[in-house]
Amino acid sequence: MSYTVVLEEFLPALLLLGGALLVFLADVVRVRRLEVFGGIAVAAIVGTLGSVLADLGTPYLEAFRTIPASVVDAPIAPGDLFAFTSLGLIFQGIFLLAALLVALASLSRPSHERGAAVFYGLLLLATLGMMFVAVAADLIFLLLALEITAISSYLLVGYTRRDPRPLEASMKFYIIGALSAALSFFGASLIYGAYGSTSLLVVGHTYPAGADGPLALAGFAFLLVGLGFEVTLVPFHMWAVDVYDGAPHDVSAFLAGGTKKAGLFAFFLVFLTPVVIGAGAQLSGSLELLLAILAVATMTVGNVAALMQDQMKRLLAYSSISQAGYMLLGVAIGTAPAIEGATFQIFAHVVLKAGAFLVVGAVAAMGVGPFVRDYRGLGHRRPVLSVAFALMLLGLAGIPLTIGFFSKFVLFSAAVEAGGLFVWLAVAGVLNSALSVFYYARILRVMYMEPAEGTDPATGTDGPLLPLGGLGYGRASAIALCAVVIVLFGIDPAPLLTAFQSGASHFLALGV
Amino acid sequence: MTDPFATAGFLGLSGALLVIGLFGILTRRNFILLLISIEIAINAAVLNFVYFAAYAPSAPIALEGQSAAVVVIALAATEIAVGLAIVLALNRVRGSINVAESSELKL
Repeated sequence: MSYTVVLEEFLPALLLLGGALLVFLADVVRVRRLEVFGGIAVAAIVGTLGSVLADLGTPYLEAFRTIPASVVDAPIAPGDLFAFTSLGLIFQGIFLLAALLVALASLSRPSHERGAAVFYGLLLLATLGMMFVAVAADLIFLLLALEITAISSYLLVGYTRRDPRPLEASMKFYIIGALSAALSFFGASLIYGAYGSTSLLVVGHTYPAGADGPLALAGFAFLLVGLGFEVTLVPFHMWAVDVYDGAPHDVSAFLAGGTKKAGLFAFFLVFLTPVVIGAGAQLSGSLELLLAILAVATMTVGNVAALMQDQMKRLLAYSSISQAGYMLLGVAIGTAPAIEGATFQIFAHVVLKAGAFLVVGAVAAMGVGPFVRDYRGLGHRRPVLSVAFALMLLGLAGIPLTIGFFSKFVLFSAAVEAGGLFVWLAVAGVLNSALSVFYYARILRVMYMEPAEGTDPATGTDGPLLPLGGLGYGRASAIALCAVVIVLFGIDPAPLLTAFQSGASHFLALGV
Repeated sequence: MTDPFATAGFLGLSGALLVIGLFGILTRRNFILLLISIEIAINAAVLNFVYFAAYAPSAPIALEGQSAAVVVIALAATEIAVGLAIVLALNRVRGSINVAESSELKL
């Protein structure tokens, strides 16, 4: 692959870097206006998103295409650091969507709050790292891209600098992240020793021969643990609840909707590419079984813990852990429909969970407390916002007519289709979904069936507040965007399914 | 390509570094010592890259390992810089860099 192509591909990503530098520069020359920082960030993200969609082949955007169509999904060569797969481009779109939601919502923050420049600058840098994750074809490049995202997000969690809670969350996130990086790089070094290369393609081609070697096995095991921390795989999940709880609300939305998805795509690359290229669309038996067990453990532990939570953010964090379990099912199964289902689930989770965290942030800004019981009567006082929140909760529970139903449907039917052991994975997944309905329904009951106590902290009266309910335009538009996507693709998922299907099948044909 | 006993010995060394680092990360209460532990754990990977590169069968393969080692060293420095920034902020808010004293967020 020639380097002009590489440069052209990174033009849109450079837009993010340029945006970040511009934000920091504006801060230095004392243009301390939230709208300036937010405007730059939103423009950079939207511009990049447009170019990614054009590269994916959207007819309306064809004119903005930055890489030749022939390069997308072309087989990768051993020396390549990058591979432009349509699945990777789809994931770039997903990452940018998460960043866009958070950037929009943060426009409604109180304008006297400090650190807006730091927030938007780091948000753009973290997104830049995720863009690189999506095109990686080499272990070192992949881990480095993940680190760009991770290092930006440690700082993003603690960017307010004055409050002890976010700082403590930032510290915990940092320690866990450093631990995960050390383990991942150690794993990569062992894989280099075993295969003589860090290229996923080379690893893939030698995988069948070297799979049983102790060096290679140890390398994959270290990578499993290292990346397991990133994607909150049980038993490496405990940090996530504290970090999501302690981080500022918008940052929690970005962590759950954005950075964790980058870790999941890294999981796809590390555990599917070698296997796909080397030995057909199946993992080696022991690894497959291990991943399946961990995926089921992740969803079950997350759901059971969420049942017992009475704080809203911690409940959502545990539910986020359980959702990661569903997505990892796709890696364990490893067939085209399973990858399609996992991708769909990841896309759905961005609008559902990032949206839910944004709603929690909006509600907290109105002076409502952090506990589930504090949401009593919200359905009466903030009718519009509550409908959006209810849609997100129903989607997370997998109720039909929301996007969450189809994503789980595709995933579980792929598991059944794969047969054998995987049928039990589907059963475990369905049982877990049923279990999760309990705690989502509990929030809905509190919001709609229980009367509010006292007067509304925001209005001082007891009547409903319409139409935006004091949300501010930025946050209102981000939440509305989520709600529209949830309903629109919940009713007609066909366009998404077609894209994800072709992405998944091309991904499986990557090295051929 | 290499003497298996030498490889085992070297992996023992880097494995020991990793274990020492991980042990430090999990047990140290002083944030600065914790940063040093992180550095030790990451250096285990660097050592591995250098070792495997030294015994690589051909030049391109050796270069890949050596450049990986340099990249990881640079990354470790970045990681520590960010860690120090967090320590400074924590120290300003709390007046202490003891990790165990930060326990507002309960598991």
